[in-house]
Amino acid sequence: MPIDFSLTDEQKELQKLARRFAREQIAPIAALYDAKEEVPWGVVEKLHEVGLLNAIIPEEYGGLGLGMLEEVIIGEELAWGCMGIYTIPMASDLGITPILLAGNHEQKQRFFKMLTEKPALAAFALSEPGNGSDAAALRTRAVREGDHYVLNGTKTWISNGGEAETVVVFATIAPALRHKGVIAIVVEKGTPGFTAHKLHGKMGQRASGTYELVFEDCRVPAENLLGQEGDGFKIAMNTLDKTRIPVAAGSVGVARRALEEATRYAKEREAFGKPIADFQAIQFKLAEMLMGIETARAYTYYAAWLTDQGLPQAHAAAIAKAYASEMAFEAANQAIQIHGGFGYMHEYPVEKLLRDVKLNQIYEGTNEIQRLIIARHILSQ
Amino acid sequence: MKFIAVIRQVPDGESRLKIEGGKVDLSGVTMILDQMDEWAVEEVIRLQEKHGGESVVVALGPERFEEAIRTALAMGIDRAVHLVAEGYLDPITQAEALAETLRAEAPTLVFTGGQQADWDSQALGAAIAEALSWPVVSWTTQIELEGESHAKVKHDLDEGAEVVRVALPAVFTSQQGLNEPRYPTLPGIMKAKRKELKKVPISASSKVAIVEQTIQERTRLNKVLDGKDPVAAAHELVRLLHEEAKVI
Repeated sequence: MPIDFSLTDEQKELQKLARRFAREQIAPIAALYDAKEEVPWGVVEKLHEVGLLNAIIPEEYGGLGLGMLEEVIIGEELAWGCMGIYTIPMASDLGITPILLAGNHEQKQRFFKMLTEKPALAAFALSEPGNGSDAAALRTRAVREGDHYVLNGTKTWISNGGEAETVVVFATIAPALRHKGVIAIVVEKGTPGFTAHKLHGKMGQRASGTYELVFEDCRVPAENLLGQEGDGFKIAMNTLDKTRIPVAAGSVGVARRALEEATRYAKEREAFGKPIADFQAIQFKLAEMLMGIETARAYTYYAAWLTDQGLPQAHAAAIAKAYASEMAFEAANQAIQIHGGFGYMHEYPVEKLLRDVKLNQIYEGTNEIQRLIIARHILSQ
Repeated sequence: MKFIAVIRQVPDGESRLKIEGGKVDLSGVTMILDQMDEWAVEEVIRLQEKHGGESVVVALGPERFEEAIRTALAMGIDRAVHLVAEGYLDPITQAEALAETLRAEAPTLVFTGGQQADWDSQALGAAIAEALSWPVVSWTTQIELEGESHAKVKHDLDEGAEVVRVALPAVFTSQQGLNEPRYPTLPGIMKAKRKELKKVPISASSKVAIVEQTIQERTRLNKVLDGKDPVAAAHELVRLLHEEAKVI
């Protein structure tokens, strides 16, 4: 099959829509919701209205069945407007993916209906206060009692956790079994024994809601179990292998914004009698940014293409996520440098880019975990 | 009932235009559905939602117009007719070509942008009405149908507005305040691909040829008042603002 880098007319149209949406609906309110540390629910409603929310749900379950390539095209655009706001729909896709991968027809019908008929979010609850990267060490207990699993434990750093209609919770039926004892089960909002507490004081991505979830004798119907007992760990890993590609796309969006802001400023700001864009020291920074953006985008598209083709892609997703998030952090850093003192102030949008994109190096698997995945891929050959 | 919007594709207002060899160079410029035409498209969709029937867009222009047509279809228009002509055509020639299609479509009304954001004069709407011998209402801010025979329309005048009753079919041109256009939705984008887009090649010769184009350049006058005598400087500033800048 020949290599073809062109987007279809449809993909160009949805890129245009997402770009316009980010420019008109996200960028103008990003600083405000960052300051308020509040979820802009109006944006979530509008995303639903135009079809950009939960669009990976297949058409037969009321969604649009978007592929990974479409997802990353949209992701770059929305994150250009605000990475924190993009995390809301992105984390919802993260909560949808385990159901997509491991849910049966009845579960998909039931849960996806809740996520398509109105503006609604999904969430994914893996991390705990005592373990993050070491997912097999999770301590949230699940005990089977008749037709129910009884959950006890605490999850933390859960995006959308308090707003979500459905939360996929990973728990263990026997901690001694490590990853072989993990289950994935869908907990609906409002289930007795399940409470969500919003975490405050985040460095960035403050427009997305991050929660601690507490389960106290929370009885969840056994029919909400995804796959079999013991499948949970695999479901979590297979999910993250896919969903870290949109994290890479979001990083590219942040970096592109950094370059645009820095370029505009460099052309306007004068020093020593000429625009600072005339100085090579500044030009080289801009050139480095574009080198990073272009390579990260091309590689992110490649990882998305592998996913859509059904080819092995775990290593590619890891490379895209780690590379793009580090590139974007550096782009944001240099954008601040180009802005000088102004870049350090809230008044200009570039310091927020850095605060926001720091999280891209941490969530959905730290970049150290990504390197582990990449190294295992090398050594297994 | 059938409602038609006549649309054009124009450079995005945020694009920076360049002149190459006495002509505007559109390469690398983002082209979009004209904003005032977008109001026309939105109004046509709203009329259809309220009164039923069919919504259609008609466009006259080069192949690249298809992108703007797809945007209108993604917003919810039922089908499209694209009169394909490369190169510049003056508004009167355009109107004559469009009139033929519009007459055959026999719509209840035709809506188009009050002014197109390229190098159009504000003539297209009026010229279409003239070519069809239909009435025209320009700068429309509100429209209400009275059955199939008349419409009650509010439109802007230079220093105010008036409400008129007009016999249908008629041509209307849009004005700011008419509506807030919807976004094309993702399902709309996917459906748009399957909607009918009829291409009709036309050959018309323009009555006007563009010889050379320039872009208005804004430069600072670099007038600095030294302010050694503050009273005189204030008087001079007021005089400049009044007589030269004409802002007070």
